[in-house]
Amino acid sequence: MQTLIKILLRYSNFLVFIALEVAAFMLISLNNAYPRSSLLSTANEFVAWQHKQIHEISGYFSLRSQNERLAEENAALRNQICAMDSAEHAHSIHYQNAKVVQMSTDQLHNYLTIDRGSIDGIKRGQGVRNEDGVVGIVRTVGRHYSVVLPVINTYTNISCRFIKNDYIGTLQWDGKDNRFAQLADVSSHMVVNPGDTIVTSGLSPVFPEGIPVGTVEKSVLKEGDSYYTIRVRLYTDFKRLKYVEVVQNADQNELEELTNGLE
Amino acid sequence: MDWSKQLGRYVLVMALQVLLFDQLQLWGACHPYVYIMCLLMMPITLPHSVDMIIGAIVGLIMDIFCNSLGIHIASCILLMFIRPYLIGSIVNDKDRLNEQISLRAIGMEAMLKYVVILVLVHHLAVFSLAAWSWHHIGFVLLETIVSSIVTILIIIGYNAMSYK
Repeated sequence: MQTLIKILLRYSNFLVFIALEVAAFMLISLNNAYPRSSLLSTANEFVAWQHKQIHEISGYFSLRSQNERLAEENAALRNQICAMDSAEHAHSIHYQNAKVVQMSTDQLHNYLTIDRGSIDGIKRGQGVRNEDGVVGIVRTVGRHYSVVLPVINTYTNISCRFIKNDYIGTLQWDGKDNRFAQLADVSSHMVVNPGDTIVTSGLSPVFPEGIPVGTVEKSVLKEGDSYYTIRVRLYTDFKRLKYVEVVQNADQNELEELTNGLE
Repeated sequence: MDWSKQLGRYVLVMALQVLLFDQLQLWGACHPYVYIMCLLMMPITLPHSVDMIIGAIVGLIMDIFCNSLGIHIASCILLMFIRPYLIGSIVNDKDRLNEQISLRAIGMEAMLKYVVILVLVHHLAVFSLAAWSWHHIGFVLLETIVSSIVTILIIIGYNAMSYK
């Protein structure tokens, strides 16, 4: 017994090291699998507030280009109003505007923090877009802030389809270039041409159908492969992202309950 | 040993990390984690396990700011675990380790060895844990080397400035 205690004492530092590392790895794997705590992420009130202050200061340097973009967007919206056929638009969808307070674009797991939280009706799993196209999916919701998993995060999967023939694929990101994403699961019997437009499929309640995603930049079919490797040029410019809209689908809960009931 | 000075440096360096170095998104692969400077410069007077717990707390704070729960904790614990063995093998005169570890205390050659090895270990741990697969190994190595160079230059530069 004494020798055992001696051995434990002798290696106590190593045991502390192992215990702490095991705890850290549990945190990492938990964090990869389940929704992270809003306290221990940038949805944390203080952390988000701090990021917002920095963003506010650096925002002054891009006021001119932001103004131009807003003017362009106004014009586009006016055109849309003219062309709108109200019967086609589902009434269950509501857009909540939000400001990006923090964003990384050059890591493998990029995140962005927005200044809307549970008190604005934001829920985990809601889609996020801007005027150009798809941005990402809400991952963690705090009271006033939320963390969004953007398209340019290797964890993200978004169901998309080709506008020309309704063929479905999954949008993923390989971690390399924040202007391009990859479209997976497109079978080799399809004809894919550079320039083909890709939009959201509407198969999941996260995004309504037809939100622009990007255009095919390059498609490669390797010998013996049954799926294409497709490089998609994204419409959303993540480097300049300042304002986004959260898609709030009133039917989302009902749709999710239905699918959960099937499992 | 002046603990208030140590604490002051922790606050200053971590604020700089969050406010300045985390905002740099310049070359795509450059994410210097300069905050480990305060861990590196702590004197070797506390018990080893306390050192590792301090590392874990510093890592947790960085993780909250980086949305990467666990990654900085694991890397900082690793760093604090290796630290006393490494400094013991580099510096023979143990009396020098009772004050903070700096250029002034242990000299240029020893300080360079110490900083380079620990920064490389820490950055490699952070980036490979963030990647979590062998798929991105090339990018992880590039990220480690580019970011480590910047971190090492800043830490040695800070030490050289306060040398006079």
